[in-house]
Amino acid sequence: MITIKRLFEILGRFRYSYLGAGALLCLSIAFRILEPKILQLSIDNVLIKTINGKTNIGNDFFISTMLNIIPDVSTNSVGVVLIFVGIIFVCVSLLRGGTMFFSSAMSSSVTEHAIKNLKDRLFTHIQKLPVSYFNRILTGELIQRCTGDVETVRKFASMQVVESMRMIFIFVLSFSMMLSIHVQYAFIAVSVVPFILISCYFFLKKEMAVWEEHEKQQDKLTSITQENITGIRVVKAFALEESEINKFTEQNSLKKDWGLKLVRINRVLWPWSDVLIFSQIAISIFAGGMFVMGGEITLGQYLAFFTYSSLVTWPMRRLAQITTEMGITKVALDRIYSILDEKEEIYDGIKKETIEGEIEFRNVSFKYNDADGYVLKNVSFKIKAGENIALIGSSGSGKTTIVSLLMRFYEPSEGEIFLDGIGLNKYSKEFLREKFGVVLQKPFLFSTTIKENIAYSNPETHIDEIVDSAVHASIHEIIEEKLPESYDTIIGERGVTLSGGQKQRLTIARTILKNPDVMIFDDSTSSVDTETEYHIQNSINSLIKNKTTIIIAYRVTSLQFCDRIIVLEKGKLIEEGSHDELYERKGYYRKIFDLQLSIEDEIKNELSETSKEKSEKRKFSNSKIEI
Amino acid sequence: MSQLKDKQFKTKGELFPFMKRMLGYCFKYPKIMYSFIACVLVVAAVEAIYPVVWKNLIDNAIMPILSGTAGADTKEILIKYFIIFLLLGFILAGGVFGFINFAGRIMENIMFDLRQKMFRKLQELSFSYYDKAATGWLISRISLDAVKVTELISWTMIELIWGIGMITFCVIVMFILHWKLALVVTISLPFLAFISIKIRMLILRFSREARKTNSEITASFNEHINGVEVNKSLGQEERVSEMFSELSEKMRLSSYKSAYYSAMYTPLVIFGGSVSAAFVIYYGGIMTLGIQPDISVGMLAAFFGFATSMFEPILDISRFYSQAQNSISAGERIFSLLETEPVIKDKDNASLFYNILGEIEFKNVSFSYVEGIDVLKNFNLKINAGESVALVGETGGGKSTIINLICRFYEPTNGNLLIDGIDYKEMTTQSLRQHLGIVLQTPHLFSGTIHENIKVGKPEAGDEEILQALITSGGEEMIDRIHEHAGEAGENLSLGEKQIISFARAVIKDPSIFIMDEATSSVDTLTEQKIQKGIEGLLKGRTSIIIAHRLSTIRNCDRIIVISNGSVIEQGNHFELMRAKGHYFNLYTRQLRKEREVRSRES
Repeated sequence: MITIKRLFEILGRFRYSYLGAGALLCLSIAFRILEPKILQLSIDNVLIKTINGKTNIGNDFFISTMLNIIPDVSTNSVGVVLIFVGIIFVCVSLLRGGTMFFSSAMSSSVTEHAIKNLKDRLFTHIQKLPVSYFNRILTGELIQRCTGDVETVRKFASMQVVESMRMIFIFVLSFSMMLSIHVQYAFIAVSVVPFILISCYFFLKKEMAVWEEHEKQQDKLTSITQENITGIRVVKAFALEESEINKFTEQNSLKKDWGLKLVRINRVLWPWSDVLIFSQIAISIFAGGMFVMGGEITLGQYLAFFTYSSLVTWPMRRLAQITTEMGITKVALDRIYSILDEKEEIYDGIKKETIEGEIEFRNVSFKYNDADGYVLKNVSFKIKAGENIALIGSSGSGKTTIVSLLMRFYEPSEGEIFLDGIGLNKYSKEFLREKFGVVLQKPFLFSTTIKENIAYSNPETHIDEIVDSAVHASIHEIIEEKLPESYDTIIGERGVTLSGGQKQRLTIARTILKNPDVMIFDDSTSSVDTETEYHIQNSINSLIKNKTTIIIAYRVTSLQFCDRIIVLEKGKLIEEGSHDELYERKGYYRKIFDLQLSIEDEIKNELSETSKEKSEKRKFSNSKIEI
Repeated sequence: MSQLKDKQFKTKGELFPFMKRMLGYCFKYPKIMYSFIACVLVVAAVEAIYPVVWKNLIDNAIMPILSGTAGADTKEILIKYFIIFLLLGFILAGGVFGFINFAGRIMENIMFDLRQKMFRKLQELSFSYYDKAATGWLISRISLDAVKVTELISWTMIELIWGIGMITFCVIVMFILHWKLALVVTISLPFLAFISIKIRMLILRFSREARKTNSEITASFNEHINGVEVNKSLGQEERVSEMFSELSEKMRLSSYKSAYYSAMYTPLVIFGGSVSAAFVIYYGGIMTLGIQPDISVGMLAAFFGFATSMFEPILDISRFYSQAQNSISAGERIFSLLETEPVIKDKDNASLFYNILGEIEFKNVSFSYVEGIDVLKNFNLKINAGESVALVGETGGGKSTIINLICRFYEPTNGNLLIDGIDYKEMTTQSLRQHLGIVLQTPHLFSGTIHENIKVGKPEAGDEEILQALITSGGEEMIDRIHEHAGEAGENLSLGEKQIISFARAVIKDPSIFIMDEATSSVDTLTEQKIQKGIEGLLKGRTSIIIAHRLSTIRNCDRIIVISNGSVIEQGNHFELMRAKGHYFNLYTRQLRKEREVRSRES
């Protein structure tokens, strides 16, 4: 079964420890098995001997050994003998407990190690998965797999693995003991066990199918909850509370139904196995009685047999439970492995000291895997090293996609991209991302201090450098004056306590600190007011003078210091050139420019009118004075 | 690493009130609960009687055989006992069927109930609650805590009831059979119970630590999965993985310690039980051999059985106790959520807004998010019905707060906010919001198609209306994609496209008051122009409040209000303000200056 193979993979490194723990467990059970023998000893040899005066028939190795230890039995010293027997019993029990303890401690230790490794492996692996993966899978589901499903595997590994081994050992050892007493009886005593096993297998399949569906429904419920909570502002703004509650109730009921389906399976499995077990016991008892009648076994042996039979069958009851949990664990393992089986990004490739920053797109087209249309269509352009390029175009025209391609979050569907004359895909992704600094459109900050957020790319950074970046990003004053602990203030989940503009500026500071060779600003000052944007631009100008920079923005004023402008529309490059060139061309750029400018033109006119008015007023008042 | 902390709850000594509360939920289904308890007790009873039947079998059937006094009907007697055992088996199976059925139903029912209550409560609570609560924690309350708590009162409860039932029945049966031997066995019970509790407490301490660390691990996963793009962009994959590894190591240690003490637990309890069994062998043996045998061999065997199996119920009861301790914190989180009163609540006799003309007045309004730091102080403002107002000023000056107050996401701490002359606290929140059309800075879409997302604004809208709303919002080019999925939180669409849909969502409502909070910052000029053109007609004669940075958006408003540090420092229409050459003038001529530079270059 794949499950066992996968479990093995997770626990595999520690297999010797598990075997050791298993051996100790075996020993512990061996001691457990001895206990009925002691009862047999007391009843047969001590009591019956004392009563009837005759010795029992079935002496075996263990009995002989014990008989050698305890003093001989005579009516007077029965009490003493019984004390001895009692002491032997307690000693065996101690040994049993001791080995059990060490076995458990050992298996716990390795389980915890194995699970820690699994968690680490998942975390590291996820960090290396391509960005496209995260657009496919629901975040909530991913987190559930890393936490909930791992916990399921841990529970199984720490409890059921040992339980299963225990059951196997008990069965094998007890059965051997029984065989040593009376072969035929032994077989009768386990005759029903195969039926129990078959029943469990049959139920296992059913159970797993239902459990998987149940988990899916649970996931959906979590998704609805997540969406609702993250979007609670919209829910309230649009008075959607009632419809959200209805949506939730529907899914909640669905999940409940599947939960009940599971109960319906279990409520048949468990009692059914109990019926089988009791039948087994009833059969044993009857058969045993017959054997005693026939003088084939002694009373002591009969009692011992009974205990062994119980030892063998009662765990079968647990088999039902273990079956259920195995099913659940298999589903959890499948889900975990679906993540681990995903291919990581390939990190190798060329690394250089620095990059000049010459970028060329040659006939690049791109579409997302499951999308119909191309987001970029046959785009070609060349950026010289040190050039400041502006990228403009309407929403959805493909600007952010170009950034994703440069960062190698995605690869072009057709065409090629070159950096410093070498194919982009030949470079190591790690290297590229180190040398490229991107301010992403949606600012994302971590739940840690402002200081650590800005210096995220290098925690060792000196505070002066951090402050410097903050000053460039026009956020230093706010940090100093408005935040309670200034740079040591902790910002909440997703940087909640800051405004959109403040978050954007922090991410700008973060990128500035990195001091990359190529800088890309993706609409990074949209939420910032004009005055602040002006400050930021002035600050940054000096930084990006001779660095290849790509600026994506809408406001013409944000772009006016750029060397060249590239215009995208619906995935196609429609215009390219310096501001002057494009202005003359009277195309899209000119249109936008004029639009934005016409407004300013009017202001200008108003201003001149205003001053005309003012000068007229003055004339008037002067004339008044004259009069 | 992550500094997220959930509210800490004291868990010592809180067990009884917690159990009382949970049982309160359970007994909303009295029939199921009583049947449940009955079934578990039936199972315990069968298991307690078991050794007695066994004793009788030995005394009545087996001993006679051995001592040669067996009659001819021995085989029949054996068959009789065969049938008895089989019957016991069926009764037991019936009980098991019952308790699984009822436990399962209790669990699912109560989980359903708790989740419903929590979700409803979350819909009621106001923004101030959400500002202080992390989303991750809230979600896990519904998804994980609910499971933990209901598992306790169903499956784990079985162990408690069974344990108590088993011990009670066994003790009763033992004393009925032979009180002297019964004493020998029962004396060990308090001793066993004592060891149990001591070790359990140790285990608890470490498992609590482990759980705390576990929630940090969950938060870490949450953060770094959501921020994976940033991690990649800044090349921090390795560093954060190392930090995580330290965290998981911390967890491993506490988890191991707790398992270590657990491992000690069972052997110790078994040891206690075996000491008691040893005493049974001694005393029982002596008694069997007495001149007049005080007890039969069967009795001895039965008591031996009792002694060695007494530890199981003790194990189960203590397992319940520790699981309960584990679940208390989950329970407290749930109950604290359910008990939170929403800050903004409709008055009992609140009336409804049927029609809103759109006159808004702030009368001496003061407001603070955090006590002591006033964002607005004695703020006064009157917006006339049908007026379009632009709010301008630096970040944090109070503009968004004004909008939050108008939408009643927050309420004034002092003063009144009047809508159409009525204090809006006298009216229901729902009826107010039905007349508001709000477009916020960052769009938030739900999973579903674009069509469905727009429909959210007006559920009874027809396809034509929805299409029209999209077109009015500048989304002409998106018409053929209207049945495309927006993706989880709209990942398949660009930011600008998402904002257009947000607009359409508000537009379709035909609201009396239209609110835009920096709604076009992330949209390109052409699209912005389209949106503006489309909305222009819409905004005529409709009260609208707009926060924006772009001159183009602002200048056509009837009135522009400059806000700084929570006060109005300038107001008037665009021309008036330009003439005044004050703050507004400075703000926007800077832009003009830049334009002049560009212009001069080109000429």
